Amino acid sequence: MTNAIETKDLTYRPGKSFLLDHLNLRVPTGAIYGFLGPNGAGKTTTIRLVLGLLKPEAGSIAVLGKPVPSRVREVLARTGYVPERPHLHLSLTVEESRRFHRAFYPGWDDPWATEQLRRFGLEPNRLLRQLSKGEMGKLMITLALAQRPELLVLDEPTDGLDPVVRRELLSAMLEYVSERGATVFISSHLVHELERVCDWVGVLDRGRLVSEMPMQDFKNGIKRLVFTSPPHLVDQTPFQILARETLDSGSEVWVVRGWQPDMVTWVLHQEGSLREVQDLDLEEAFVELLSSARGGGAPNVGRPTMAAMA
Amino acid sequence: MFKAILFTQWKWGRLLLLLATLAGFAIPLLSVQGLTTTYGNFYVVTSLQAFGIAYPLLAGAAGLLLSLSAWTSDHRGRHVYALSLPVARWRYVLMRYQSGLVLLLLPMLGIWLGAILATRFIHIPPGLHPYASSLALRFALSAALAYTAFFAISSGTPRTAGIVLGIAAVLVAIQVLASAAGFDFNLLKPVFDRLFIWPGPFEIFTGRWMLLDV
Repeated sequence: MTNAIETKDLTYRPGKSFLLDHLNLRVPTGAIYGFLGPNGAGKTTTIRLVLGLLKPEAGSIAVLGKPVPSRVREVLARTGYVPERPHLHLSLTVEESRRFHRAFYPGWDDPWATEQLRRFGLEPNRLLRQLSKGEMGKLMITLALAQRPELLVLDEPTDGLDPVVRRELLSAMLEYVSERGATVFISSHLVHELERVCDWVGVLDRGRLVSEMPMQDFKNGIKRLVFTSPPHLVDQTPFQILARETLDSGSEVWVVRGWQPDMVTWVLHQEGSLREVQDLDLEEAFVELLSSARGGGAPNVGRPTMAAMA
Repeated sequence: MFKAILFTQWKWGRLLLLLATLAGFAIPLLSVQGLTTTYGNFYVVTSLQAFGIAYPLLAGAAGLLLSLSAWTSDHRGRHVYALSLPVARWRYVLMRYQSGLVLLLLPMLGIWLGAILATRFIHIPPGLHPYASSLALRFALSAALAYTAFFAISSGTPRTAGIVLGIAAVLVAIQVLASAAGFDFNLLKPVFDRLFIWPGPFEIFTGRWMLLDV
């Protein structure tokens, strides 16, 4: 499996209080990769590094097989980018903006762009500064997709938008991906939104990659176990304990990662009594994972995480 | 690509370009207004000299304002758009710079046409010669120089612009304080001389800007 984006020990310190710390990110080609993290985790900084907008202090970045920033122009010609905040020239009209953008991309699909703008109801003569947040989002995604990119990088593209516009934008993206098989790298702190569309997920917190794995594994692998009496040898579990809480009744609730049904046998061998195994939705799993990472647990970085689930 | 960038710069600077072109067209015509055949060479030259200051001022203002308008939108978007386009940074900056130079041809054309018309309207006294094309060329070079200098400053970060403006403000403040305290000392004159007297880089702005001369 090749990677559309790959960083090795990527390090960047934009200020005294924040450090992007030895980031090893791998976005498989063809994946829709959700880049999750709370506000201030470093998602936008990572994206800017990946697109060569910032220069890393250490480590390496490869995007679409090309090193960044040394060959970033080749990468940008094949990448559609929708930043967190509108970046277009606000004094241009929708039509002028389309023509300006078109001039830089050899693979530009003008009929598609025109049709998509019409479908989105964006009048050609409207000034960009007069567009609502939703309309601006529609314009930015249209311009990014009309480039016919192999990689689409979306930085919180639906943040602050109403559900109808959010759905329209995500539909446009998914339609394109299904046609072209492009890779999508989408950052967000809206966990539920990514749950629906992504097949890979990476979780970033305070500049560290806490987890990176297929979405299905992420959703299935994190469970809440309710014990009437907990097993012995807690430090030798075949799964990872993210959180552990003792209730008044003496029973215990564990949030674990890497749980498999056959591990019930291990619990029984350790003289534990398991009352219930609860599924966590992605948001709960995300919160538990972050709590664990921040609480000095053992965050798993990179894919070796999956070894615990085997 | 160049056409796209030229268009944006035209859109952002078209009002000031229109005004500069009109002003450039009008100044030579105004400068010869009222001059009749009865006036001698000295009066004509003196009269035209009074308008001579208007050309470098217009060149400086056009260069300054066009350079500012060239970068305002990019600064507002923190240059994210420009940097995310698949074009080398130096090439993007060069295209923005070249676009401004192309657009400065408009006020130059205004001056050239105005100067040609002005010299047709009056009877040129013997011994004086019209310099319409030279005047327009000098305007073009001055405007290009002002544009280049301000473009370089405004293309940098706000910090760079702040440092340049800060140094200028400190010099002026020191001069004002020194004058108020009664010190016989002029700090600005040597700076001005270094910049505007030969071999200073802005020497072209000074001297005689004459539509008619000997």
